[in-house]
Amino acid sequence: MSAGRGTKALGAYALERLVNAVPLVLGVIVVNFLLISLAPGDPVTALIGEFPAPPEYVERVRAQYGLDQSVPERLARYLGSVVRGDLGFSFANRQPVLDLVAQRLGRTLLLMLTTVVLATFVGVVLGVWAARRPNSAVDGGATGFALAGYSIPEFWLGQILILVFAVWLGWLPAGGFRSIRAEYVGLDAVWDQARHMILPVLALSFRYMAITTRLTRASLLEVMNADYILAARARGLSERRVLWEHGLRAAALPIITVIGYNFSFIVAGSALVETVFGWPGVGRLMYDSIFTRDYPVLLGILLLVSITVILVNLVTDIAYALADPRVRY
Amino acid sequence: MRTPLVLLALTLAWLFGHALAQVETPTPGGTAIVVLGSDPEHLNAAISTGYPIGAVGASLYSALVYLDRDGVPRGELAESWTVSDDDLVYTFTLRSATFHDGTPVTSADVVFTMEEVLAPNHGRFLNAYRNIESITAPDDATVVIELTQPYAPLINLLTVFEAPILPKHVFEGTDPLTNPANEAPIGSGPFRFVEWVRGERVTLERFEDYFLDNALLDRLIYRVVPQDAARSVALEVGEADVVWGFYMPPADLDRLDANPNIEVWKGLTIPSLYFVFVNTDNPALADARVRQALMFAIDREQIVEQAQGGLGEVAGGPFGAGFAYAYDEATDYRTLYPYDPERARELLAEAGVGDLTLTFVYDSARGAFAAAAEIMRDNLRQVGITLNVQPVERSVMVERVYGRDYDLSMQSFTSSGDPAIGYHRIYLSAERGANFVNATGYANPEVDELLNAAAGLADRDARADAYAEVMAILAQDVPTLPIFDELSTQAAAANLRGLLVRFDQRDGLEFAWLAR
Repeated sequence: MSAGRGTKALGAYALERLVNAVPLVLGVIVVNFLLISLAPGDPVTALIGEFPAPPEYVERVRAQYGLDQSVPERLARYLGSVVRGDLGFSFANRQPVLDLVAQRLGRTLLLMLTTVVLATFVGVVLGVWAARRPNSAVDGGATGFALAGYSIPEFWLGQILILVFAVWLGWLPAGGFRSIRAEYVGLDAVWDQARHMILPVLALSFRYMAITTRLTRASLLEVMNADYILAARARGLSERRVLWEHGLRAAALPIITVIGYNFSFIVAGSALVETVFGWPGVGRLMYDSIFTRDYPVLLGILLLVSITVILVNLVTDIAYALADPRVRY
Repeated sequence: MRTPLVLLALTLAWLFGHALAQVETPTPGGTAIVVLGSDPEHLNAAISTGYPIGAVGASLYSALVYLDRDGVPRGELAESWTVSDDDLVYTFTLRSATFHDGTPVTSADVVFTMEEVLAPNHGRFLNAYRNIESITAPDDATVVIELTQPYAPLINLLTVFEAPILPKHVFEGTDPLTNPANEAPIGSGPFRFVEWVRGERVTLERFEDYFLDNALLDRLIYRVVPQDAARSVALEVGEADVVWGFYMPPADLDRLDANPNIEVWKGLTIPSLYFVFVNTDNPALADARVRQALMFAIDREQIVEQAQGGLGEVAGGPFGAGFAYAYDEATDYRTLYPYDPERARELLAEAGVGDLTLTFVYDSARGAFAAAAEIMRDNLRQVGITLNVQPVERSVMVERVYGRDYDLSMQSFTSSGDPAIGYHRIYLSAERGANFVNATGYANPEVDELLNAAAGLADRDARADAYAEVMAILAQDVPTLPIFDELSTQAAAANLRGLLVRFDQRDGLEFAWLAR
């Protein structure tokens, strides 16, 4: 019965959070719009290309994309269309932004979700392993790994991975998200796709494995000194059960937080990794759009990212409640 | 007993020699993968001047003419053409050709594309169109272009990069910017469209009814590899077959050259000039002696060797040395302005310039510019000038330079095959704020007049005289500092033959074939 009430409360809480998120998202749109509009650089220059276009031509292009209007006018128009579910028209790609993003979203999510799962799994296992024998060689190794993970930038690691596994060893493809010379179908296509994912996922997940490892280790070490762990051991429970059931569950809260937190950063990291590996996802689209000053696309992607971050935060909070019975909403 | 052995040896030698003597014959079939550095925004080459769109467009579309390996215009859709004695009327006779959807290409398609699509939307075609009085189609196979004044580069601006021909029946009555055919194009070129996966690749296949010799490759795939180091790697591991100089990181060339599976080519195709704009709004730089001092102070040789990896030739004049008729040995900049810091210091002292600090603005995405900036900073320090180097993003660079908020700025302009198309704009007087023109504030009516006259002269000797005069003036005024002519490069899989058959590397891929 109490569980029923808890679920209902949780549902109401989630709904309330979602409603509260609306003004936040609107604020994000306005701030992004103003930041991009105020940044130096004229999208018309990028659109026209590198030759002396006559002024009347430049003005025609400017008017064609509504860029001759004032910033408040454009902002109002943009907000109006976003409310109607229209993210505008990409002037560099001459396509609706929504179509453009939708084509690529799946590929980026594939990369990101695999990264989150891998980073969490490896990070927790390594962290637990290190925490079990603090100051041992294993612990030293895990700590060193974490330090390396913190300090190595994704784009550099990506290039090194390409050099080692694609150029020197020739085991894995150097880039792209599937083979281009040969066309595969069925299981072969899945395998081909998987091979193309290995290096980008490794490059993207290394840092988050490291963060999760460190945090799991620290959090678990703290918990393992608590009285109830001593009590559990005194009751004669196996060390394995003490660690995984009593220890890790209590240590999970900060780990859940960091997974949610990682998620937002992985979005940013994917822009770099997608560029290094020629992975045709949203991150690459964002990178290209910055250079072409393709405002509608940039705004659309930033909107998507902010909604994702808000949703992930909500899911994180709900996960808290599930992991820790003391948390009530 | 030895005889059989000798006979065997002789037979083998004969067979071997015979095999060597056989000339390779192009064989059809196979797929080649060409690298693009960025995704084309769409596939309508008539409404954009972008490099990747032009690349795919060169295989998809055809135009009235093409430029052969030496830059000489030859007929493509045009079987032949005549020019009236006053150089004002060009009459083209069309070949019988068909679009990829089976409809014939007629003069109506040519007139429609030029008037309705190219003129309002293709900036480089506008260069030609501003000199055009009318474009008419007296019959299905004839196109007549009438000019307002003689304009020598006209023919060069009718290639597939400036004037690809679209099917009128697909575009008529629609907005060419949003026509669905921009995503699934219909041209009359040697390859037809198969599939485009945005951000990944564009796939084309041989068009069997091409009006000239059919392409040899079955398939041509343009693959997008956004990161420059990854392009060389794609070649090395066999995931790509061709990388053009435009997309090639110069630092990787030596490594690729050492690879037996990769053929590296270096040479001059379409001349491209690297130079430094000097803003004469700065009172110190308004003095020609100071600009001359900069020429003496900058070690252009070192810039070519170190910043450009040797892929350049120190510029011999204001239009480089890529066009024999636009270069005069009498005023060669390499002789007039050798690297001479002592002479630079004298000139600066003469001009009464003491401690001078100059801002140097450049596009941060251009690696060679960054290296050149460091060399110039070092060079100028030795003559008492402090260079404040400011790398900025390209669109910001455009605003700063053409808004004349800079002192020195490195730039590279392509000639597009004729100095009148690509280089005159560096020296013609120009309004502040217009982009990709003369940003120095230098305005010399005599130079304007001579350059405009040169653009109208079809006769190369007469043109050469005009250029020699301009060169003599510019050699004294040095409104910009020409640094070097760029050498183009290409790296390709060694078994891919028949490349580099046209003036532009992107053109003529129908001649490419795979050696087995």
